[in-house]
Amino acid sequence: MARSLLMVSRRAPWSGLGAREALDIVLAGGAYELPVAMLFMDDGVLQLVKGQAPQLLEQKNLGANLQALPLFGIEALFVCGASLAERGLSAEHLALDARIMQASDLAMLFNQYNEVITL
Amino acid sequence: MATLHVVSSPPFTDSRLNSCLRVLGPGDALLLCGEAVQALREPSPMAQTLSALPAGALYALGEDCDARGLEQTLARQVDYTAFVALSLAYDRVNTWL
Repeated sequence: MARSLLMVSRRAPWSGLGAREALDIVLAGGAYELPVAMLFMDDGVLQLVKGQAPQLLEQKNLGANLQALPLFGIEALFVCGASLAERGLSAEHLALDARIMQASDLAMLFNQYNEVITL
Repeated sequence: MATLHVVSSPPFTDSRLNSCLRVLGPGDALLLCGEAVQALREPSPMAQTLSALPAGALYALGEDCDARGLEQTLARQVDYTAFVALSLAYDRVNTWL
């Protein structure tokens, strides 16, 4: 039985490699049909914002890889509601269909997976 | 089904400890090591927050406390051997990298 993984992605999209590395781990897991889920929290929620133009910063577009998640079988996507609110964001700003989680639900989410990686 | 959360980043310039406290569930435990042990200095708002955790849910790596001249009573101090034992006692370990 494959062990399930929750990836907690909490890095901003265009400062450093953390956001892309978290996504790469998840896509690799998905390619091998591991049960993988992703939770965006803290600055990680900024990865999901619509209408970004990273080419202006001479960076590759993370959004294209994020859109690929369902194609790799990763449909369990969660986002921390408090992190969104702190940054003036809500569901309408998101480019990806992720379930918004309240603080009380987050601990239970962790309990549903065998392994957790926080990047 | 409980998680051991491990935080090592400085508590006053970095958000990891606060984020960890946000997701800490019933039955979970928190182990502070490295610069994160500075959160145990009383009295401070952070130490106050940590003191509200359930008994037995807060640990600190003794060596890191000693290295920083920190005498604390909030967390149960552990050595590296006990750290390993703790990692095995929980269903998963979440290290806040």
